Amino acid sequence: MTSPAEADAGSEVVNAGRPQPRRGISLSDAGPPIALVVIFGVFAVLSPDFRTLSNVQNVLDAAAVLAVVTCGISFVLMMGSIDLSAPGIMGASAIAVALLVANNRNDNDFGLFGVAVAVLLGAALGCLSGLALVVLKVPSFMTTLGISAVGLGVATLMFAGVQPNVTDPMLEGWAVERFLGLAHLTWIAVACVLVGVLVQRYSRLGRYAFAIGGAEEVLGLSGVRVAPYKVAVFTMAGAFYGLAGVLVTSQLSAGLVQAGKGYDFSAITAAVVGGTLLTGGRGGILHSAVGVLLVTVLTNGLVQVGVSPYWQGGVQGLIVVAAVAAAVLPQRRRNQVTK
Amino acid sequence: MKFTSRHTAALIGVTLAAATLTGCTEEAGGGGGPAAETGACDPADVKLVGQVRNESNPYEAAWLDGGDAFAEQVGLTQERLTYDGDSTRQQEQVSQLLAGDTECLVMNVLPNGDSDTPPIVEGAQEAGAYLVTQWNKPADLNVTDYDTWLSHITYDGVESGKQIGDALAEAIGGSGGIVALQGILDTGAAKDRFAGLEESLAANTDVELLDDQTANFSRAEALEVTKTLLSKHGEDVKGIWAANDDMALGALEALQQAGRDDVAVVGIDAVPDALTAIQDGTMTATVSSDGPWQGGIGLAIGYCVATGELAVEDIADEDRAWYAEQFLIEQDNVADFVSPETDESDFACDNLFSRSQGAMS
Repeated sequence: MTSPAEADAGSEVVNAGRPQPRRGISLSDAGPPIALVVIFGVFAVLSPDFRTLSNVQNVLDAAAVLAVVTCGISFVLMMGSIDLSAPGIMGASAIAVALLVANNRNDNDFGLFGVAVAVLLGAALGCLSGLALVVLKVPSFMTTLGISAVGLGVATLMFAGVQPNVTDPMLEGWAVERFLGLAHLTWIAVACVLVGVLVQRYSRLGRYAFAIGGAEEVLGLSGVRVAPYKVAVFTMAGAFYGLAGVLVTSQLSAGLVQAGKGYDFSAITAAVVGGTLLTGGRGGILHSAVGVLLVTVLTNGLVQVGVSPYWQGGVQGLIVVAAVAAAVLPQRRRNQVTK
Repeated sequence: MKFTSRHTAALIGVTLAAATLTGCTEEAGGGGGPAAETGACDPADVKLVGQVRNESNPYEAAWLDGGDAFAEQVGLTQERLTYDGDSTRQQEQVSQLLAGDTECLVMNVLPNGDSDTPPIVEGAQEAGAYLVTQWNKPADLNVTDYDTWLSHITYDGVESGKQIGDALAEAIGGSGGIVALQGILDTGAAKDRFAGLEESLAANTDVELLDDQTANFSRAEALEVTKTLLSKHGEDVKGIWAANDDMALGALEALQQAGRDDVAVVGIDAVPDALTAIQDGTMTATVSSDGPWQGGIGLAIGYCVATGELAVEDIADEDRAWYAEQFLIEQDNVADFVSPETDESDFACDNLFSRSQGAMS
């Protein structure tokens, strides 16, 4: 990101300004989808249980929460920043929504309004990350880690020793009721991906996020004020994490402080597997969505073919590394910036 | 960097304090001397400390409440310490305690992990503070090698895994397929509990283990894993064995989402939501270690020794590191455990080891 060489930076700007997807399909874009198809095919051959319709539904349902988190994190990664705040923000919003809809702790029954407040709480925490980044110039790695701790702190305070269990029929229904074979949660995740794609392609926010990741300095020199867009991207990411926290709460019918545990790294993994580069300026929401499916298919498939749980962690890691290596092979030169 | 130096400073502080104590006082032995000179403390001077990970965990909060109940029983108060599952913070808290007046200090500690126990034990030994630890200690660390580390209490995971395995077998009518959700695979608790299930399966030959997967003791992971297992084995699944209640509750959600109400679920830990589920009849069984008792008993042992009612050398070797009794909870006895209370007679100095199920092997 910090200008490797003048000439290099110059040539990147052209790429960064126009997102890859608009120019037809290149080799680097095709890698992850091909990997997805191959992995899916291998599991389908190995396990008759895997290739059933109910299991495909199951995979899509299981991918929902990760997809929403990854939507948020992808914009941050496109900018070349990193975001580790998902666990804290999800924890805070999970407890918040559980306490605002009908539950066993208090008499609140705000329904959708409660969901909106939880999402706004997520956005506010995300906004804090962004502000700390641009105002205090703290690296995003540290600010988001700090905000994650703040979110967990807020969640623990609201938790107050007694777990809030959700009794709200609407929120519980999201996980149970189905439309066209998929849980409502899954459709919410699909909607998030669509919104993400629209923002990425057609809004200034999405285009600038790309440009910032590609060549922030050039953008600055061209007279664009970068800081507000950075804050906005973190705020939007926070809102996505907030929604993801709500979805986890709906699935578990309970608000958990640990609702978002592990989602920071699995979302980054999914985004990178899908072809979004940690250096910024490449990839996008659709790439990340493919990455999410790849990771979820892998988790599900290893169970379906009966790999011993003692082996699964290692095998999964190896396949992910191989998939990333295959996906970014055409971009080796650029990727070497990541040490 | 900052942490290391502060840590070192704390350590030096503790060492100095210990050295000073050895020099000045006779009662509080240190540095390997014949510490634990019993009967030194006036009951009113005893300082009781209970330390667990965090109060947001209902089990550990109940543990501290049990400590309070004991303290009240002897007219004292308990200092409640929590370290948020952070080993460094636990060590800092212990160092700070030991740097103060340790003459009549009694600590009932839940070490964060096995490796956190030795420094706590060494520190207490040097400072002459009375210590009882629970759950975690390295297998090769012997309580009998120390004077002020009075006792280590833990639970036989093999036994609890077997208890719920048997309860599950009974619930599904003695035959049929079950799946197991294991805990974090490299923890002793997960290994022991699963070994217990295997023992139970050996006895219930018509029960078949269709699959075992890990859900890392997590409710959210258990939800996903159970969904996958349900789509893999479908109607063959008659029961779900989970190595803790959080996973059992996640499995219950998955069953609800799949529209299955014919599957028995068992867990371990007796968390409040699991007890509610057992009352409702959606869950079959869980196992309780009785948190409030754990919070009281550690302090009681220390208190009895500190006040001279019990001499360290009179504690039998098999009571220095022992398995405590745990209770299988099913629908017929769940009411007794919904709001557990401590029983004063459990903490009487001549009755401290009544729940022992034998020495740790």
